[in-house]
Amino acid sequence: MSIELVQVSKRFGKVLAVDKVSVEIEKGEFFTFLGPSGCGKTTTLRIIAGLEIPDEGRVIMDGADITYLPPHKRDTAMVFQNYALWPHMTVFENVAYGLKVRKYPKEEIRRKVKEVLELVRLEGLEDRYPTQLSGGQQQRVALARALVVEPKALLLDEPLSNLDAKLRIEMREELKRIQKSLNITAVYVTHDQEEAMVLSDRIAVMNRGRVVQIGSPEELYGRPKTLFVATFIGKYNILEGVVREVEGDTVSIESSGVRIRGVLPSSDVKPSVGEVVYAVFRPHGAYLKPSSDRDNEFFGKISLVSYLGEHLEVRVETKLGKMLIYLPPDFRLPLGESIKFYVPQHNVLVYPKKGEEVYSV
Amino acid sequence: MRFIERESGLKKVLRSFDSFIAINLALAVAFFTLFLILPVLSSAVEAFLDKGAISLRPIIEVLTNPEYVRLPPSLEVVRVEPVYGIVNGSVVPLGYIVSIGRYGPDFGKLVNSLFVSFTTAAIATVLGVIAAFVMSRYRFPGKSVFGVLLIVPLLATPFVNGYVIGRVFGRDGLINMFVREVLGFRNVTIELVGLPAVILVQSLSFFPIVYLNAYASMINLDPSLEEQAENLGSSGLRLFRTITFPLSLPGVAAGAALVFIFSLEDLGAPIGVKAAFGLGLHNKLLSYDVYDHFRKAYALELVSRSAYAVTFLMLLISSVGFILIRSYVSLRQYAMLSKGGRWAPRVRSVKGWRKVAVPLGLAIILAITSFPQIGTILMAFSDWAITGTAPRNFRIEYFLTIASDADIVRAIGNSVRYSLMALAVMVLVGGGLAYITSRRRVPGSGVLDLLATLPIAIPGIVIGVGYMTFFNTYFRGTILSPVDYPTNLLVFTYSARRIPFVVRPIYAGLQQVHVSLEEAAHNLGASRNRVYLTVILPLIIGNVVAGALTAFVYSMNEVSTSLLLGARDPERAPLTYWISDRIGGQTLGAVSAAAAACVLLMILQLASIAISNTILRQRVSFLGV
Ligand SMILES: Nc1ncnc2c1ncn2[C@@H]1O[C@H](COP(=O)(O)OP(=O)(O)OP(=O)(O)O)[C@@H](O)[C@H]1O
Ligand SMILES: [Mg+2]
Repeated sequence: MSIELVQVSKRFGKVLAVDKVSVEIEKGEFFTFLGPSGCGKTTTLRIIAGLEIPDEGRVIMDGADITYLPPHKRDTAMVFQNYALWPHMTVFENVAYGLKVRKYPKEEIRRKVKEVLELVRLEGLEDRYPTQLSGGQQQRVALARALVVEPKALLLDEPLSNLDAKLRIEMREELKRIQKSLNITAVYVTHDQEEAMVLSDRIAVMNRGRVVQIGSPEELYGRPKTLFVATFIGKYNILEGVVREVEGDTVSIESSGVRIRGVLPSSDVKPSVGEVVYAVFRPHGAYLKPSSDRDNEFFGKISLVSYLGEHLEVRVETKLGKMLIYLPPDFRLPLGESIKFYVPQHNVLVYPKKGEEVYSV
Repeated sequence: MRFIERESGLKKVLRSFDSFIAINLALAVAFFTLFLILPVLSSAVEAFLDKGAISLRPIIEVLTNPEYVRLPPSLEVVRVEPVYGIVNGSVVPLGYIVSIGRYGPDFGKLVNSLFVSFTTAAIATVLGVIAAFVMSRYRFPGKSVFGVLLIVPLLATPFVNGYVIGRVFGRDGLINMFVREVLGFRNVTIELVGLPAVILVQSLSFFPIVYLNAYASMINLDPSLEEQAENLGSSGLRLFRTITFPLSLPGVAAGAALVFIFSLEDLGAPIGVKAAFGLGLHNKLLSYDVYDHFRKAYALELVSRSAYAVTFLMLLISSVGFILIRSYVSLRQYAMLSKGGRWAPRVRSVKGWRKVAVPLGLAIILAITSFPQIGTILMAFSDWAITGTAPRNFRIEYFLTIASDADIVRAIGNSVRYSLMALAVMVLVGGGLAYITSRRRVPGSGVLDLLATLPIAIPGIVIGVGYMTFFNTYFRGTILSPVDYPTNLLVFTYSARRIPFVVRPIYAGLQQVHVSLEEAAHNLGASRNRVYLTVILPLIIGNVVAGALTAFVYSMNEVSTSLLLGARDPERAPLTYWISDRIGGQTLGAVSAAAAACVLLMILQLASIAISNTILRQRVSFLGV
């Protein structure tokens, strides 16, 4: 099922929880709302489920306007952050509930519940009560309960956030496998950018009730349209500077007497000469050898090295402050040594300082 | 570009109603309007009518009448009178009677009522707070036994409690036996009547209300608040005075306010004391005054204007108290940092001599405060009511007279019937009301919240009078006419007065049920009705049962409207009406029958408390604003 939100807004008293959100989610897509706590993700999801009615805007499913359709008449199934398993029902009864509501015959209910419990790998736990299950098992019951009714869309509100780190990664893969094998539209909500990157076909980054950018994980990481997105997703280095020259989409700025060349991430913004801007680059964007003579060159002392498996995370104290860069694992230099590295111009993104927001935890 | 329309406010409101909410809301609004607000308003309106015109005269007449406001008041609390007898043809003094309360204090009915209610509330508060503090903060020998026994004073023994006081403090009472036989003062007789007797009876019966409320708020205090103070060197009485008491004030104040209102509207004590001593100052109270007016009038039209004025004054006094306490309690909400004792409160073991003193002190408080209950039992199983000073001649026959008392047997049936019907109404209306207020989906649910506690604050007499005026005016000739079928109305006075007992536990249960449990079912395609039946109800059924039991018991115990309306059709009157009849009865065994009926009521109440506690696995503290 395709889902479309058109200029949806929702206010709680003085709080504008959702502010003119528009997205189009395609059938079979794994779509994620990502953003910091309180940015309105849950509210957006609840609007799709019909648990909240927007103050303004429309919710369209498969071309039909369902803005005011009550939740039980929408073919969506939600997995709640706290799972919301009914404590007075067994696993079987929990999972069978939606089927009973839909008046399936007894035999078919039994068959479908069995199938879905196999799918989520919970065979044999039918007669347990939710309190007798581990967190991961509860989570899978919640998922099974939603899946078994074969909803047109699966809505998931931080379903993994109550699990420990290892289980979270396991369940993440499981979730993706199930979603792809059923080819079901999934709308996912999380504040964990890594989770979003791994799971999603596309991500909508939200901040203060607004969608600030929609795109594939690669787009968001490589071409964040705003400073907020750039700083919210992935690790980054940030430098403040003054614009000296603008030429097409390349900008030349000066930061503490150092010239830095970068590019503008979107053609909407054009800083003028003399304006204060931020230059942002990823640790991935740094190299030990220059690729052209237009690369930015930085120089400093190594203050920390961490081994992260496929690369080394190296902290360098430069004249412009601390910088974080990733280097190949075979790189060898002791702490305190000086190092020179290069960041190609296209890896440095320039954002105006005015009206922009740096995400900080 | 699609056209985006803005929702109008009204549309938004309407959209938040589905049929489930709408039906329940309509039910609640209709119920409270018809069976509480309109009757109470119409009784108030009557107070301002004089020969068909709007006037302040009835009120002014009451306020200027020395019967109601006596100037100067009589403050002769104690009077010592010699008793003369004729011995050998000459008059000689035989001794003295020390009368407490027979000639004073008397300030007139209005001020008497205020005086009694304030004093009762004060005494009950002191007793209740002490008991609550000790029970919530100390560990001592026999504590768990006290925890159970402290319920005893709460058991209702309407009318008989006042009569028991007469048997204890009357001229032939236990106290005088003690004074004469044990102390040896053969020529001194002491009696306690009038307002002090009423205050005594009421303080004993109502102190558990303060106790339960104070206990609940002390248990719910964040222990770190006290720990912090202790850490800074505070302990014992200072800790209580500076931290525990101020922080539990909302609970204490709520309890005290309830006692004030309950005392104001109480008919049990004045009628019970009257049965023991005859008419006296203990009957110069507003509640008795209204009851008496209506009892004596053959037709409702003949009831004097001043009865309505007095009813209005009672309503005014109690509503002012209620509003003050509600705003105070909500201002002080910070103290109730949590609902339900999720943390373990600070409990210390008592040491040294206190190991004896604390249980002993509690035992004394308990023995005194449960004397009405003990006395009622003694009276039901001995000849105490018939003959003299001390209960003698214990046997079951006195108790069994109740079975051959046709009026009482029929009355029990009536009470059960009205209470069950009221119960159905309460669960239906109260369940929906609790749901709407706990989920706060509907604008104005704050008003509903208020409505759900309001009945506690309205004196039963006001409700009774209100029903008589309202239903006589608008439902004449129907089955709700107070002239033709006065007792039919009892079903609704019971439901209106006792519905808070149903709403509160259901509300508390719903608070424990996370709303996402409901949303998950809704989201899977279940309609709201189905969600209510399959998800919510099974999860809160214990609370529903507990609330229903409490409401049933308190309907069986109801006095004010039972008397006011029951007196108009004794054949169909409920049990409490007949207890009041029997307690004042002159025939042999009448009082025993009344006491026996009270024993039955106590058994019923104990059973319900036991069942509720088992179901909810916690003390149900059912009284609070
Ligand atoms: N029922 C409500 N009543 C009042 N305010 C609400 C309600 N629900 C959400 N809000 C407010 O709306 C804003 C957005 O809330 P929402 O739950 O959508 O955030 P979120 O992005 O899901 O956050 P989190 O990651 O913490 O779950 C918050 O400021 C929140 O306090
Ligand atoms: Mg959320």
